[in-house]
Amino acid sequence: MNYDNVHTTCPYCGAGCRFFLQVLDGDIIGLLPDRSHPVSQGKLCIKGWNAHEFVTSKDRLTKPLIRKGGGFRETSWDEALEVIARRLKEYPPDAVGVLASAKCTNEENYLMQKFARVVLGTNNVDHCARLCHASTVVGLVKSFGSGAMTNSIPELEQAKCIFIIGSNTAEQHPLVARFIVRAKEKGAVLIVADPRRITLTRNADFHLPQRPGTDVALLNGMMNVILSEGLEDKSFIAERTENFEAFKDVIRKFTPDYVAGVTGVSKDSLIGAARAYARSSGSAIVYSMGITQHTTGVDNVVSCANLAMLTGNIGKPGTGVNPLRGQVNVQGACDLGALPNVYSGYQSVADEKIRKKFEEAWKTPLPPKAGLTVVEMTNEAEKGNLKALYIMGENPMVSDPDIGHVRKGLETLDFFVVQDIFMTETAELADIVLPAASYAEKDGTFTSTDRRVQLVNKALDPVGESKPDWLIICELAKRMGSRVFEFSSPSDVMDEMARLTPIYGGVSFERLRLGDLQWPCPAKDHPGTPILHKEKFTRGKGQFVPVEFKEPAELPDAAYPFILTTGRTIFHFHTGTMSRRVSTLNREVPTGYVEINADDARTIGVGDEEMVSVATRRGSIKIKAKITPRVHKGVVFIPFHFAECAANVLTNPALDPVAKIPEFKACACRVEKG
Amino acid sequence: MNDNFEPRIVGFMCNWCTYVAADMAGVARLKQPPNMTAIRMMCSGAVSPLYVISALKKGADGVFIGGCHIGDCHYQRGNHSTLKRIMIVKPLLEALGIDSRRVRLEWISASEGVKYAKVISEFVDQLKELGPCPLREA
Amino acid sequence: MEAQVRLRCKELLSEKKVAAIWGLREKDECAVPFLFQNPEEIDALTLSPKFPLSFTCRPSPETILSILQKKMPGKRIGVVARGCDERALIELAKSERVDLDFVEVIGFPCDQAQAEECACSRPFPQNPIGGNKVAGIPEEKAFQKLLALELKDRLKFWEAQLSKCIKCYGCRNACPMCFCKECRMEQSAYTEIGWLPPEFPLFQFVRFYHMSDHCIECGECEKACPMDIPLRKITKYLRSRMEELFDYHPGLDVKRKSPILTTVDEDPVKELPHEL
Repeated sequence: MNYDNVHTTCPYCGAGCRFFLQVLDGDIIGLLPDRSHPVSQGKLCIKGWNAHEFVTSKDRLTKPLIRKGGGFRETSWDEALEVIARRLKEYPPDAVGVLASAKCTNEENYLMQKFARVVLGTNNVDHCARLCHASTVVGLVKSFGSGAMTNSIPELEQAKCIFIIGSNTAEQHPLVARFIVRAKEKGAVLIVADPRRITLTRNADFHLPQRPGTDVALLNGMMNVILSEGLEDKSFIAERTENFEAFKDVIRKFTPDYVAGVTGVSKDSLIGAARAYARSSGSAIVYSMGITQHTTGVDNVVSCANLAMLTGNIGKPGTGVNPLRGQVNVQGACDLGALPNVYSGYQSVADEKIRKKFEEAWKTPLPPKAGLTVVEMTNEAEKGNLKALYIMGENPMVSDPDIGHVRKGLETLDFFVVQDIFMTETAELADIVLPAASYAEKDGTFTSTDRRVQLVNKALDPVGESKPDWLIICELAKRMGSRVFEFSSPSDVMDEMARLTPIYGGVSFERLRLGDLQWPCPAKDHPGTPILHKEKFTRGKGQFVPVEFKEPAELPDAAYPFILTTGRTIFHFHTGTMSRRVSTLNREVPTGYVEINADDARTIGVGDEEMVSVATRRGSIKIKAKITPRVHKGVVFIPFHFAECAANVLTNPALDPVAKIPEFKACACRVEKG
Repeated sequence: MNDNFEPRIVGFMCNWCTYVAADMAGVARLKQPPNMTAIRMMCSGAVSPLYVISALKKGADGVFIGGCHIGDCHYQRGNHSTLKRIMIVKPLLEALGIDSRRVRLEWISASEGVKYAKVISEFVDQLKELGPCPLREA
Repeated sequence: MEAQVRLRCKELLSEKKVAAIWGLREKDECAVPFLFQNPEEIDALTLSPKFPLSFTCRPSPETILSILQKKMPGKRIGVVARGCDERALIELAKSERVDLDFVEVIGFPCDQAQAEECACSRPFPQNPIGGNKVAGIPEEKAFQKLLALELKDRLKFWEAQLSKCIKCYGCRNACPMCFCKECRMEQSAYTEIGWLPPEFPLFQFVRFYHMSDHCIECGECEKACPMDIPLRKITKYLRSRMEELFDYHPGLDVKRKSPILTTVDEDPVKELPHEL
């Protein structure tokens, strides 16, 4: 009998919890939480506890598939890869795009962006970070020089004041909420800014229910109060920041009266919250999609950075600006260059010196212009400019805004390959589908939201004929003539990554076996970095960025009188490819619903659990209504996990001008009975 | 206490004894308060602790369980289980902050209609004193 | 004492008195349950830190030992056990999940620090092979403060605590005594599902009730709770009631059935409710 405990990382959210998969004679029979892990400490959420059920689902793709008529026929790896290698060569670099995966390992994302750049000659490589924290990556770089969480998750327990804005932490990052609740029980002040009465508002000292899309006004309003009451950290501002005067000018007009009018938040709450945040000896800002998924996403993030700098809440334990990344490895996918404008380590493709470094390492000339982002690729596909797309582990047919438009784009493509573990809604449209291995069937690393690089260890052999993504990419690259994809293991890939990526410079599988490492970890003996910007910011001085308030791209009107906001529930994850194949999770929430306020429901004439149709300018869906006081009058909420009543049929593909992130969190809809 | 407060009682009554007694009390027009919602069970031993707490959550101010005297159970030992269970349900309710007097277990045989009416009357008076069940607002 | 335990384990394996031993192994700076099959592997056997879930393989309701016993019929399996582990084994045997005839208990006592951390009243198995038994912590300490509160404050306390629940089922998953194939906590007949927090107090109520005659005081439910809900205040109180009413302690005597399952003649109730 063969028994082993395989130490690995949970494949769901960016908290990065770890557990041991119990393997007996080749079967996963259970899991045990990792008691010594700094974040999960022996606890897990309901998704984590059930994290291996979908691995052995009978729906797993086991053989390569090639389109035949309206469906697929099974084929061999040989044929599938031969066709892909041949067809991809037909397209010039501008006409081909690649989507890497926030669910795949760092090594796989690194290889995918290398593949796009070296083999396909294109910078059209992106992934779903575009849909979630692109605003963070752009915004925090602008303010601090580094686009990542400034502190670490366990430190939240030490904060004396925690300001959560746009994050339903208890449901989205439950093990992060643990530290917030512990801080609160130790006496910290909790401020929650969210249009809905989310779980943590129950414990909050201040609940600021801002109208969706008015975050800049809210944040500027808080800063106005801080400045007018002289609560700012003058020495921090003088020594460590620049551009304060220009910023101060803009803040002047955001008086509590004005802000109350714009946001709907009461003056008293605004002033109380601002004072509490500024006065505490250590305040942390925690944020997530609620502020990033807007046409003003970058503005929202930058305003959070302004607030932290204004009060000197940077560089100390229990403070900082803490974006909670959604996917298990969206941080890593960004870190390792699966973005159209940077190589691994956020090194710009446009910078000649950097490009030369990579050209030498990869032995190929590299394209100098930044490429297309996710939504732009769909747009270009529809226009016929983007002719070929290779997607790894992403499901834009459920996750992207305006699904009708996404379908048109994907159907217009000349050649379309999807590599995934299940037949997703996106894979259904592909010409070739490649079966990939799950997290339990390969080695690699994930990087969690607090920059923690952790190992993923193989517990099972890949099911059927599926292969780990890194192997597939290397084989394909070799078939297309490349000589720089000779790797014997993911550890090998990590070694190359470390050589070219200063922030991962000291990371290796050997070191990771002894414990996780938080980047920047530039050298083999560097212990890793729990807190950023301690003595100076990554860019030197922190930059105050003055931000004006702009309304969301689409406001309610007579035809579409409700604000539609979208989000998640604790019981499912993103497009549901994994979570909807887990019996416990399906039992809790088998299908989608729209949260609607009792008053609104009465006006429309609909009762609890009755079907309604929700429509926007993009499309309409039929969905079950759930009457709840969680949403205020005039706002409805739909979780986006359910393809059969997909919230993203309705959402607005309007983008933030710089980050190109869609405005999932605010658009106009109407709700009707039946 | 609010004089207008009329406690609502859910009564789980054994088919073979208490239910008959309750019926008898009604037929004989014995004075008894109207606050009872009777649920006929085949045996008091079929009353799960979850029914008790659900009733208290869903609007009952008190839960009454009526079974046969020990030794008279139609299924021999069903009522033994009832008694043992209630001995745990009561302290559990107390530990949670719910007065265990809101749950009342009585052995009432089929012929004890008078006892039934008296017991229910007493129970209502007790519940009037205790007030509405706090779980309703929870 | 670790040395003594290792020695005994090596003996048992090399003399083939057991086919395998279930104990903790050091791995990646952790101690995790492992199936030792060769005497050489025993060098990596460790006794601490006390690890949860010594018998579970979640989210399946099966017990690891029953899986192992099915795979190795007729063979004895050694189990390195603290007091609570042994009590769990005895309770599992009562419910026929484990055949004690094929289990060799290698028991060892907990030290004072561990007893205090677990607030355990019996921090030792029945026949420890070495070490010193320490006096346990009286159970009342866990729930004294709770009982000192007035009823309405107790209710407020639990409303606040249980509203933190994120329905991870960690308490149920960590508990060696939670092995129902159809778990009542999962049934929507009793509580509304799909929302946080789960309906108060129905979600946890059934587990508290079940633990009254099953809880073996391992403390793992609280250790698995991400929200630090003090579950043991209630489970320990119910254990103390079982002791007062029936002189019953789960996990001590495999022949003694739970008093909830017996007649009032077999296990009379020492104090009747006021109405009876």
